[in-house]
Amino acid sequence: MKTPFQGQLEEVREADILVGIPSYNNSHTIGHVIRAVMAGLAKYFPKAKAVLVNSDGGSTDGTQEEVRRVQIEDYKTILTSHPVHPIHKIITPYHGVPGKGSAFRTIFEAAKSLKAKACVVVDSDLRSITPEWIELLVRPVFEEGFDYVAPLYARHKFDGTITNSIVYPLTRTLYGKRIRQPIGGDFGFSGKLANFYLTKEVWETDVARFGIDIWMTTLAIAEGYQVCQSYLGAKLHDAKDPGADLGPMFTQVVSSVYYLMGEYQTLWEQGFTSQSVPTFGFHYEVGLEPVSVNVERMIGNFRLGVRDLIEIWRKVLPAETTRWLESIEKLSDEAFFLPHDLWVRLIYEFAIAYHQGLVHREHLLKSMIPLYLGKVASFVKENVDSSAIEVEKKIESLCQVFEGMKPYLVERWKKGE
Amino acid sequence: MGEVWRVAIIDSLNKFLGKVITFFPNVLAMMTILILGLIIAWVFKKILFYFLKTIQFDRVSKQWGFADILSKGGVTYSPAHLLSRFFYWIIILITLILGINALEVAATQNFIAHFFNYLPNLFAGILILVIGYLIAIFLGQATLIAAVNAQMESAKLLSRIVRWFIIILSLTMALYHLGIAEKVIVATFSITFGGIVLALALAFGWGGRELAKDFLERYYKGREKKGEGEDHISHI
Repeated sequence: MKTPFQGQLEEVREADILVGIPSYNNSHTIGHVIRAVMAGLAKYFPKAKAVLVNSDGGSTDGTQEEVRRVQIEDYKTILTSHPVHPIHKIITPYHGVPGKGSAFRTIFEAAKSLKAKACVVVDSDLRSITPEWIELLVRPVFEEGFDYVAPLYARHKFDGTITNSIVYPLTRTLYGKRIRQPIGGDFGFSGKLANFYLTKEVWETDVARFGIDIWMTTLAIAEGYQVCQSYLGAKLHDAKDPGADLGPMFTQVVSSVYYLMGEYQTLWEQGFTSQSVPTFGFHYEVGLEPVSVNVERMIGNFRLGVRDLIEIWRKVLPAETTRWLESIEKLSDEAFFLPHDLWVRLIYEFAIAYHQGLVHREHLLKSMIPLYLGKVASFVKENVDSSAIEVEKKIESLCQVFEGMKPYLVERWKKGE
Repeated sequence: MGEVWRVAIIDSLNKFLGKVITFFPNVLAMMTILILGLIIAWVFKKILFYFLKTIQFDRVSKQWGFADILSKGGVTYSPAHLLSRFFYWIIILITLILGINALEVAATQNFIAHFFNYLPNLFAGILILVIGYLIAIFLGQATLIAAVNAQMESAKLLSRIVRWFIIILSLTMALYHLGIAEKVIVATFSITFGGIVLALALAFGWGGRELAKDFLERYYKGREKKGEGEDHISHI
């Protein structure tokens, strides 16, 4: 039997550009996102047939109604041109495991069904999205022949800590492409790549949740698709309670990274140096919202972890590494410092333990959180007075340690098999 | 007189020989059972060992903390080795009992019948203990990690409470299943568990009244003032 979603897709038949917006209770922000998307499509791709797909996780705050309601009444107020085709809106609930990945799967299915040439996904809680984001994410695919466009944002120096301390350095080290925001959340990709994503059976795993971003980026690089990045400016999104989300967010992202290491082992075992990727967009400085960081609490969490979880870590870490952690635990708040080489060693050792299944995988990943908070605290302390450029240099030096210690990873990984 | 003695001795010798002749096949049967049992036990041990190696039983045991307990207890065998030896000795035991049964000695018949009737309960009891232990280790570890991530200073204590509660619960269930002092076990468990809950309730509500008040106040006021002292960095 045909579902209403399939009915809507058949009604539209084909599309040049598909814009996917996953949502869950985002009625306050989704209106702005939709207006920006519609304006972007009308301004930069007025002749293209475009479809907007809202893949909703069962919002109860009127998000779907807001999507239906929002229209740009008079394009002349913001544009000189007018879209040739009306922009179709498809609003559908997604099925499967609740999470961003499942919402994306519905968007990929729509892209396949509509034979879309270029697709974009943008978060529904964005406050800083502009029509230009659509151009920057679509044009490299629509006109330049790229398959995957990752975002490049201006962010506060303490934002994106999982990205900066784990995902970016590790992705770059393993797969050789310097994509600065591999889990940015807003992407452009070709219809061909969307079809490829649909061939994979990962929709019951962490990929169906927060792991979707790194999964998409890694597959695009590892499978040899043409990748690039576009500078979008500042990324400001709806205020959440990051502390409440850290546990599942951290475990789902890191588990996806580690799972992919197992999948593409033969690729990353080869020795190569990382390369930069083509970057689109005009770089400019932006004012960013200040963020507050409770360093003492993070250090406290690290110390508690060393005291209580060391027995679990001993199962996966060499004795010298656990001794190193114990010595850091004894440092005062003022002297607290977690060096890059220890951090890289921890990330690699946990990856090997995850691959070998030495400890229950969810327990293993959750037990990493105090170590991660220790690294964040150390990073914040180190960079309190640093400028954004200086912080970027520090991240670059961390990446070099990751790359420099890759032979250690390869050797230890092989030994464990 | 001499004739009487001769008849008596020959008669008893004949009777003895008759019994030996009747009993001899039973002895042969017992020996055959024992030899076959030994061979079956040895072959089963080898097959089971290779099967456990193939399914990486040692790695799973390490993952569940079972191998750690064995090494802490001074057991040098790997879990796969230990389990295959355990089943080897079980088969030997059953063989021995079957062998004794083959002798058809009246005194042992009853005992063996009881033993075989009890065997399923014994296995079920052991199974309950093993599964209970594994669940206790798993949930104890999960509690420890969750409590550390929630920044609870008493994370280790909480984890031990969870682990021992499940171990005691599974021990109680196993003993109940084995039919050992059923009523005493249930009563002891109910009294102990009820006592612990009451003690905790009294300790928290009476002894730690101020602490409880402070905790609840902080909890609700904290919810009202959500965001104060929180981190506002976006991790992704």
